[in-house]
This record gives sequence, structure tokens and C-alpha cells, in this order.
Amino acid sequence: MSDELLVVRCRLGERDALAELVRAWHAPVWGYVRRMIGPGEADDVTQEVWLAVVRGLPGLRQPERFTPWLFTIARRAVTNRLRAEYARPEVAADAEPVTPDPADALVDRAELLAGLAALPAREREVLILFHLQDLPLETCAAICDVPVGTVKSRLSRARRLLREELNRKEGRP
Amino acid sequence: MNADEMISRLSGPLSLRRRVATVAVLLGGLFGAAFVGLLWLTEPVLPVRTQLAFGGLVLVGLGWAGYGGWVLSRRTPLFALDRVIAGWLALAATGLLAGSTALVAVTRGGVHPAAYAMVGVLVVVAVGNLVRARASRGALLRRKRELGG
Repeated sequence: MSDELLVVRCRLGERDALAELVRAWHAPVWGYVRRMIGPGEADDVTQEVWLAVVRGLPGLRQPERFTPWLFTIARRAVTNRLRAEYARPEVAADAEPVTPDPADALVDRAELLAGLAALPAREREVLILFHLQDLPLETCAAICDVPVGTVKSRLSRARRLLREELNRKEGRP
Repeated sequence: MNADEMISRLSGPLSLRRRVATVAVLLGGLFGAAFVGLLWLTEPVLPVRTQLAFGGLVLVGLGWAGYGGWVLSRRTPLFALDRVIAGWLALAATGLLAGSTALVAVTRGGVHPAAYAMVGVLVVVAVGNLVRARASRGALLRRKRELGG
């Protein structure tokens, strides 16, 4: 069943549709939250996200845009917990050379998970959304509320930082 | 925490009984305050203490209505079916208020024109809400059928 149909059924007030929606999206939301803020608060923040989703569902006018809407709510909850980290000024977008097509720049999943925690929040979130959640660039841009170009730039920077972090861990120069 | 644990944690805000009870609190407070206000308006001369008592009752009613409105807007989701139920409840409460106003008008030889205006506005708002809620639910049901649900 498509997400759009599930959302329409939820907006009608069908409890089983809501349960199905939570079952379908709980793991991705929890994974995103846990990788952003760590395991300590992941359960509480994920619950906060779902409460906001449940309260917001009756007013969701575009059910077909459920995924970016859901992750925007999750990102807001994460941003609230990581205020200090998000408050740091970002490296200028044009300072990072962008790879021609980020989809071609494959990142090994195991390596990504190993080095993710060391990255700054903005770079960490685009890596999670793009490589772990497999969301398209446009959806990542909508969730982060930045242009697609900025997402590409953050992805390039994130991959470079990830490589540096992994080299550092392995003791390579 | 897995998905089923999360679903059980969400059961509070999703309880139909709780949502209907919140709508009833809002409507009870609103129409209680309106009815007491109506009685107050129809009494030409009242001692100060009685006027204070009427004022207090109106404030209590408005307080409950405010609480119900805050819970509904901030804490509890109202889905399409809930809005239709709430619309019917509001219309029933408005009908009760209109009937009470008519009864007071007949037994006391008329009420203040502001009371008629207030009841008229509430009836129009209640009917409008119900029509909108039904139309919105109808549109969602059509969309559900289009999507094969």
C-alpha cells in the first residue's frame, strides 16, 4: 500500500492505517534520530517526533509529500537537541568542490557508519538522509530547507571528512 | 523501542473517547457560558453579588472552553471522522441553546437583541463547520477510492 493511501486513511481516522504507517516508518525515523543524537535520547526524541506527526497528520494537505514532511519534523526535533552544533557557522558552500553526480560517489555503508559520529551535524544529516535513507537529493534539500546545490556541496564535504576520519582511525596520513 | 511499543505509547492522544470528551468540554463550556450570559442579559435589575455570581459562572464556562480549545489545537489530533462528530455535537449544543433562548424569550416576553444575534451567529458557525467537515471527509473518501483503498 502506498504512503499516500496510508496517509489519506490516517486523515480519515482509521486507526489500523496509522499503526501500519508507524510500522513502515518507525525504523527509518529511529535510525535517523539515533545516528544524529546518539542512542541515549533516541527513544524519547523519536516518540516526540511521532506525537508531532500524529498531531500534524489531520492538517497534512499533500499526502504524497509525506516522506519530506516526516523527516522535516524529525529534523526539527533533532535540531532542538543539537542547537549548539547547528549554531556553528557552516563552511561556505562554494568552498567545497562538488562531485559531478553524488549518486556515483558510492560510500561504503560500513565505513559510513564507522565514521559518521565524528562529522559535524549538517554533514552527518545529509549523509544519513542520502546514503542511509536513500532519499533523492530534492527530498534531502526539502528536509534541510536548503537548495539542492547546497546539499551536493555538503555531501562532497561530508565524504571528504569521512575519508579523513577513517584514515585517521587507521593511522594513515 | 520497536514500532509496536511506539504505537502503544501513542494510544493516549489517539483515544476516540478522549477526543470526543475534549470536544464535549469545549462545547459544554462555551454553551454553558452563553446560556448563563443569556439569562444575565434578560434580568433587568440584579444585586451586585448576583451579577458577580453570573460573571463568575460565565468565566468558568469560558475557562473550560479555552482549555478544550487548547487541548484540541495543541495536544489532540482531530481526524476527518472526529471533525464530523464534533460538528454534529456543536450543532446539537447550538440547537439546545437556540431552544433555551426561545423558551426564555417566550416566558419572559423577549430577550436582549444581542442574545438573538449571538445565537444566530453560533448556529451559522455550527452549520458551516459541519458542512465543511462533511465535505472534507467526502473528498478524502473519494481520494481513498482513487488510490485503490
